[in-house]
Amino acid sequence: MPEVEQTVVEAIQKILRRKQIEASVVPESEIAGLGLESLDVAELSAILEDDLGRDPYSAGVLPRTVGEIFEWYRT
Amino acid sequence: MTLYDVLRDRASSAPDRPLVVTPELTLTYARASARAEAFARGLSARGIRRFACVVADAAELLPLLCASSAVGSEASVFPRDLDDAIIDDYLAWFEQPVVVADRPLEVTRAQMLALEDLAIETGPIERFGNGSPTLILTTGTTGKPRGVRHDWERLLGGTRTADDQAGARWLLAYNLNQFAGTQILLHVIKNGATLVAPKSNQPPDAVVALREHGVTHVSGTPTFWRFVTALIDPSTSRSLPLRQITLGGEAVPAAVLESLTKLFPNAKISQVYAGNEFGSVGSVRDHRSGLPVSVLSRGEDADVQVRIVDGELQVRSRFGMLGYYGEPDVGDGWLGTGDLVRVEDDRIVFIGRATETINVGGVKVHPLPVEEIAGKVPGVDLVRAYGRPSPVTGQIVALEVVLRAGADRDDVERAIRAACESLLPAARPRLIRFVERIETRGDKIARPRAQ
Repeated sequence: MPEVEQTVVEAIQKILRRKQIEASVVPESEIAGLGLESLDVAELSAILEDDLGRDPYSAGVLPRTVGEIFEWYRT
Repeated sequence: MTLYDVLRDRASSAPDRPLVVTPELTLTYARASARAEAFARGLSARGIRRFACVVADAAELLPLLCASSAVGSEASVFPRDLDDAIIDDYLAWFEQPVVVADRPLEVTRAQMLALEDLAIETGPIERFGNGSPTLILTTGTTGKPRGVRHDWERLLGGTRTADDQAGARWLLAYNLNQFAGTQILLHVIKNGATLVAPKSNQPPDAVVALREHGVTHVSGTPTFWRFVTALIDPSTSRSLPLRQITLGGEAVPAAVLESLTKLFPNAKISQVYAGNEFGSVGSVRDHRSGLPVSVLSRGEDADVQVRIVDGELQVRSRFGMLGYYGEPDVGDGWLGTGDLVRVEDDRIVFIGRATETINVGGVKVHPLPVEEIAGKVPGVDLVRAYGRPSPVTGQIVALEVVLRAGADRDDVERAIRAACESLLPAARPRLIRFVERIETRGDKIARPRAQ
C-alpha cells in the first residue's frame, strides 16, 4: 500500500480504536458507515493535514468513502 | 499623598533601610529619596509633563517613578527588551514627547534624555497639576498594547499595609512595566519593605536572588512558579527564609499549589485576583481555585465590588484605572474583566477568557477546565488547551503537553483521554501533541485569541 494510503488508514484506525469500533478499513469503506461522526472527521482532517501537509476537507471536498480520500491525494 | 511623599516619609523614619537590592548595589531609602528629588527637579525644570521610561535598573526606575508622582508628570515604563524601532512605534502610539533611557536609543519620535541629564541637584520642584498620573501598558497578545491611565494616589489607596512587613524582602519577579510589577513597587514603598531585583525576571535568576538576598516574599504567575519549583532542590528549600508566596495573573493549577506546599511548608500561600484596569479584587489563602462567593455580597460602600453578568466577572473599584489612553475617563463604573466564571457551591470558578472560548460546532468550550483535568494526569508537567481551526466543526480542542521526565508518551495520552471522558464530547481534546516547551508571554502561558 502506498505511504499516503497507509497514513490515511492508520489515522482512521487510530480513531476507531479509541471508539472501540472494530472494522476493516478498505477503499470501499464509507466514512459514515465506519462510525466516524463529525468530531471524528474533524480530527481526521487535522491529522491528515499535519501528517500529509494537506487534506481534502480543508480543500472543501467531503469524501464519501476511504477510496475517495485516496483518490483526492492522487490528484 | 503621592508615591514621592510616601518614599520621603519612609526615608525620614528609616534612612538606612535598603529600598532596592540588585546584583550590583543596594539603594537605601535615603539615597532613593535624594535621587527622586533630583529627578523631580529635572522634570520640573524641563517642563516634562509626560514621558516614557526605558530604564532596566530598578534602582534608577523606582526613584524616577516617585519623581514623576511628585510633579504630576505621567510616566510610562516601556518593556525593557524592546528594540529601538518598536520603541519608536510605542512613542508614536502614546504620543510621548520625551523618553528617559539608561542606554543610547536610536529613536526619532521623541527627545531622548539620559538619566544624568534629568537629575538636577538644586532648584525648585513645581507640580504641573493636581493629579499624579501614570500610564501602564497592557501586555496584550497582539502587537499594539493599550495604555491604561492610573493615578498614583488611587493606586496607593488600594495598596494594603501589612503587619508582617518589618524586614520583608520582596522579589521583583515581574517587570516594572507590568501592572503586577507596579503593585509590588507600591506595596514595598508603602510598607517600608525592600525590593530585591534579580538580574532578570527569568526563573534561574530569580532562584539566585532567592538564595543570595534572603527573599521573604515572592509574587509570581503560576507559570513562573512552575519553573522556579523545578529549579529548587527539595533538600535545600526549607533553608530559604520564604514566608509568603503569592500567585496571580492566570489560573492556578492544583499541581503548582501542591509543589509549593511541599517545597515551602512554612510559607503562607495566597492567590490574588487583579487586573491592570480594575486593580486588586482580593486574595484567598485556602488553596482552592477561584474566589469565595462572599465577594458578590460586598455592599455599595465597598471600595471594590464584584458581580457576574452573562457569565463574565465584573468589577467596580475606587482604585481602578481612570481610563484608557486616548479615551474619556470611565469613572467608578463597572468594568468587564473578560474572565468567564460560574458559581459552584460557595465558589466563583474561572472557566476561561471570553476571547479564548473554543467554538466546536456551536458548542462553546473553555480551555481552563480541560487543562485542569489534563494537568492532573500523572506524567503531565504542563498543558495548554486551544482551539484548532477545523473545516468540519469550526474548531476542535487541541492540547499541547509537556511530559514529565521519564513519563511514557502513549500511557500519558491514554490517561489524558480517559480523564477527559468526563467532559462533553465537544470539549474532549481531539489532538494531543507532545512538545518540549509551551510558549509563555509576560510570565503566563501564551494564549492566542480564538480563531
